[in-house]
Amino acid sequence: MVTLQPAAAELLGITKRFGAVVACSNVDLKLRKGEIHGILGENGAGKSTLMKVLIGLALPDAGSILIHGKPSRIKDPAEAASLGIGMVHQHFSLVEPLTVWENVILGEQARLSASSARRRVKEISERYGLEIDPNDRVFNLSAGLRQRVEIIKCLRRDPGIVVLDEPTAVLTPQESEQLFRVLRRVVERDNKAVALVSHKLDEVLSATDRITIMRAGEVVERLNTSEADAPSLARAMLGRPVSLRSKGIALGHIEIDEGLAEEGGGSESEEPGILPVLRISGASAKGRDGRVLLDSLSLEVRPGEIVGVAGVEGNGQAALGDVMSSLLRLQSGTVTVGGKQIPTGKPGAMARAGVAVIPSDRHESGCVLNMSVAENLTLVSPPRSSLGLGILDRKARRSQAEILMAQFAVQASGPEAPMWSLSGGNQQRVLLARELSGNPKVLVASQPTRGLDVGGIEYVSNRIRQAAEEGVGVLLISTELEEVLDIAERIVILFRGGIVGEMPRSGVDIERLGLLMSGAAAATAAGAAAC
Amino acid sequence: MGEFLSAVGDVLSSESTYLSGWRFACALAFVALGEWVAERAGTINVSVEGAMLAGAFAAVVGGDLTGSIWVGLLFAVVAGLLVVMIQAHLSHNLTVNQFVVGLTINILVAGTASYLNSSLSPASPKAHVFEVPGLVEIPVLGPALFGQPWPLYLLYPLIPIMWWVVYRTRWGLEVRAAGENPQAADVSSVNVNARRRQAIYVAGITSGLGGGYLLLGWIGRFEDAIVGGQGFIAIAAVYFGGWTLRGTMFGCLLFGSVNSFRISLPGIGYQINSEMLSALPYVLTILVLAIFSKRIREPQSLAQPFVRGLR
Amino acid sequence: MLNRLLRRSAAEEASDGSSGLASQQRLQSASGVLFIYLVCIVAALVISALVVWGTGGSWSSVLSSLLDGSIRRPGRWGKTIGEAIPLLLVALGMIINLKAGLVNIGQEGQLYVGAAFATYVGTFMSGPGVLVLIVILLAGILGGAIWAGIASVLRYWRNIPEVFSTLLLVFVANQAVGYGLKNTRLLLDPTPDTGNRNLISDQLAEGTRLPRLELFGNEFPVSVFVALLLAVSVSLVMRRTIVGFRLQMLGSGPRAAHRAGVSDRLYGGLSLAVSGAFCGLAGAFMLTGGDFGNYRLTPGFPVNIGWEGLLVALMARSQPILSVIAAFVFAALRTGAGFLAATGVDSEITKVVQALLVLALLIPPAILYVRDRRRTLAAAKERT
Repeated sequence: MVTLQPAAAELLGITKRFGAVVACSNVDLKLRKGEIHGILGENGAGKSTLMKVLIGLALPDAGSILIHGKPSRIKDPAEAASLGIGMVHQHFSLVEPLTVWENVILGEQARLSASSARRRVKEISERYGLEIDPNDRVFNLSAGLRQRVEIIKCLRRDPGIVVLDEPTAVLTPQESEQLFRVLRRVVERDNKAVALVSHKLDEVLSATDRITIMRAGEVVERLNTSEADAPSLARAMLGRPVSLRSKGIALGHIEIDEGLAEEGGGSESEEPGILPVLRISGASAKGRDGRVLLDSLSLEVRPGEIVGVAGVEGNGQAALGDVMSSLLRLQSGTVTVGGKQIPTGKPGAMARAGVAVIPSDRHESGCVLNMSVAENLTLVSPPRSSLGLGILDRKARRSQAEILMAQFAVQASGPEAPMWSLSGGNQQRVLLARELSGNPKVLVASQPTRGLDVGGIEYVSNRIRQAAEEGVGVLLISTELEEVLDIAERIVILFRGGIVGEMPRSGVDIERLGLLMSGAAAATAAGAAAC
Repeated sequence: MGEFLSAVGDVLSSESTYLSGWRFACALAFVALGEWVAERAGTINVSVEGAMLAGAFAAVVGGDLTGSIWVGLLFAVVAGLLVVMIQAHLSHNLTVNQFVVGLTINILVAGTASYLNSSLSPASPKAHVFEVPGLVEIPVLGPALFGQPWPLYLLYPLIPIMWWVVYRTRWGLEVRAAGENPQAADVSSVNVNARRRQAIYVAGITSGLGGGYLLLGWIGRFEDAIVGGQGFIAIAAVYFGGWTLRGTMFGCLLFGSVNSFRISLPGIGYQINSEMLSALPYVLTILVLAIFSKRIREPQSLAQPFVRGLR
Repeated sequence: MLNRLLRRSAAEEASDGSSGLASQQRLQSASGVLFIYLVCIVAALVISALVVWGTGGSWSSVLSSLLDGSIRRPGRWGKTIGEAIPLLLVALGMIINLKAGLVNIGQEGQLYVGAAFATYVGTFMSGPGVLVLIVILLAGILGGAIWAGIASVLRYWRNIPEVFSTLLLVFVANQAVGYGLKNTRLLLDPTPDTGNRNLISDQLAEGTRLPRLELFGNEFPVSVFVALLLAVSVSLVMRRTIVGFRLQMLGSGPRAAHRAGVSDRLYGGLSLAVSGAFCGLAGAFMLTGGDFGNYRLTPGFPVNIGWEGLLVALMARSQPILSVIAAFVFAALRTGAGFLAATGVDSEITKVVQALLVLALLIPPAILYVRDRRRTLAAAKERT
């Protein structure tokens, strides 16, 4: 039996509505000192909203908050900070051209003093084992190091309560473990309360002391981590049957089918006879600032095959997606689609060659937010009127849109609804509808399920699988390892703009995969080969 | 070629070249100083042209009413500030396109100043020339740097102060953050739009001062063409300088000198194509931008409005 | 018309009416929108009146003489039409750019260069009048297109923002044309007896001028029909054609457009050049139409038409058809200004009114845009 620590923060009966949607309904949550509290739930379960209430980004419609036993009204993040509540943000809140110490103290009130700020950064980084040079500029840092800066930034104010929102999204498995070690230190040494918001079962199970599970805006279960196991958590979290495969993504839970796990076996890539529908060879590209984006990257996708590109964010995923969207020109290397070499960076070339793309930046290269759903469905090839002269056939556009909207179950007020009025899931459906309706040869899906709820994830992954079954070669680029493992048949690992390894899904070795993702692999792999 | 070189020699040894070059450069520097801050915060503040013009007109009104140069300068500062306040609120509360706002304001100010000038026809005393004892004796450069109408000397302390404010104070840090990554600054509880507005206010103050200096230091009466695009040249100087203070000030010096050549070359007996010289600052800026554009790193969110929750 | 204005109000500047925003939502708040517009316009007029009143003028007599000068007196509305033509053309060019997401603010220079090209051809070429006239107009178009084309090249080759380059090129244009006007081999009138009248070009020959129509004692050049035709064409191209659709795609989502096959170099570059061509045509029409400079190129020939044309486009909220009205209003303020002398109020007041009107019309859509977008996004975010 664990002795009960006093509560650092208590949320009582919190209800928060957004319009007609109830994001949190009568939620109670107790964060105790000296404990890591996991808040588990699928996307849209209300856990982020609950944290927003705690850090003052959203005002609750009902309910009260006690901080160290005192009733508090938290109306903005500054107020939360003064009450000792700190947040490590999901997406980095760092200003790249500024130095580490400048970022750490950004937003404080006190007089600016570089030397004391540097000293403080040093102190914190030593205390918690977060090694970093305070004078480095953030744009030189890797994703893992940037998160360190975020954590230091949060800890600098010495908060009694630390909130982390999906902190492992940008980390390698090894970096994640390191992060959890740091959190453990924070809890044990300083008796702080930590709230870890996550949709990943495994990390909640391994890193927390206590778990609150949320579903559809309500708390469905509270338990001590020591009493929990994965299957029961999964049941409580989902509360409804979903296909076994998408569950893996939604829960961040990796199940390895032991029967199939033969080391080095099932090397499908050697299969002769079938020509790859997509071949990228020796692709290299540099950014405007001279940074290497892609470094002689080569890969192949055969028709009907799903190839997953695993890797930590910031290792060339965006550039690879951009190449396939004709948004980036290669300095060297070629892209061949269906046997024909396609010029890179030439507007529309990839789309015309039959490359469908679900981009990770769907608001920018995926759709035009200011245009209507119908217009977005026909961006690439708007229907031409029989009158010629490049006149638009607006009737045909509307009817095409109506058909596609029905086929892909897009919920919108109509084909003329502006794209920005749709929810993320529906925007993604519009993109899928447009891209898949053009009979593509290749489908490139970057982070296709990011930010979607379980229903959305299930829908999108099924559509991707369906496309592969119909013979489309699928390239899935994702930083969510679970997603890659779930959907892909063959996995290649992206590190610093190049492919550093490859393994079939059936023979996946998570340990080695993680090492490859962190770049520590070349040596290890060589060592293993020597043995 | 030889003739050209001797012309250059004559120009470089003529005190009047430096005197007028410095005087033009300083007018630009006042404006560019504030514009630099505004751009670091993320705004291309086209309305500095209008702020400068308003400053010049307000200065002559202030000088006319009280006969005091100080009051004239104060009027100039207030007028510059008022003008850019319109810009600041329209482009950073309401996210109206900042160029569109700026140009409209410029036309508004030009019309208003010209209208009021012809209705009121104010006239002000001119600021006297103050020769800094000792320093003015420095050969060639002395009179240019230290023998000018006294409002010019306000610029000298202003440059290091502005550097210090932007790089060494919390406000400056937040301004730079707002110009680079407003989303990140916002989650770090920096009030992005407030910083951006304040940075524009700074631009308004220095531009008003620049306009006041121009009028009270040199002319004493208002003319419609008194500013004549110098605000735009100041913006060009910020670009030219690659968003560093040093570069910006160098740009002002360069453009100011070119301007003075146009006047001083014929003065010492050289026939020169004055159109070419007048166009030179602009052509030079375009060329410099064309040559260095790939290497210059501008503030990442320059000219992009910030609305919380967008993106 | 009003309905369209309301429906569009919340859309971003660059997007077109055809983007079809949820009209239900709009209609609910239609009265509110109308109210905001009214408040802003009334405020602009009240401020203008206060400025007049503050300097001892009488705003009613100002209004009356503005009306006299622009439409009431005999022959005046013809004059106003004459001034509205180039304003409209400049505005149409600006609209093409705004739709493509570009901000060209160098119209004054593009117009001047266009007029200079036209003058050069008109004073040196001989031949049948109509043919020369056509070549003059083409030369104007070419001149404007080249001047804006420089900005295009700088934008897509060296990444220099077009806002900046077009603006800088205005000042270069002024000096370049000024140089031409000093040189008899270029633009300066070679006739010896006009030696004192420096810096003026030769007059266009009678046969090479635009015919002028007379209607109820009002005279205006036939170019008005070309301008109206172009306004309708721009409107149709933007709403009904693939080119227009792609231009707007480029304006509202450049990355999505690039992927969909819209080349920014081609579409963006051309749209800049085309807008320059519109300005050049405006310059050529000014030269050959008779309402400006008496068929001669003079220093300061563009008389702010470029700057004001830009404002016309903004005031018309990037709507080609609305810009016809806006151009007439602005032209009326220009021609009316000439009659203000009698009231003792300086004619510059009309510039104040123009700028205030533009500001008044810029504010309401911005308010609505921010408000709408915030609401919808807040709702959409939580639905995912």
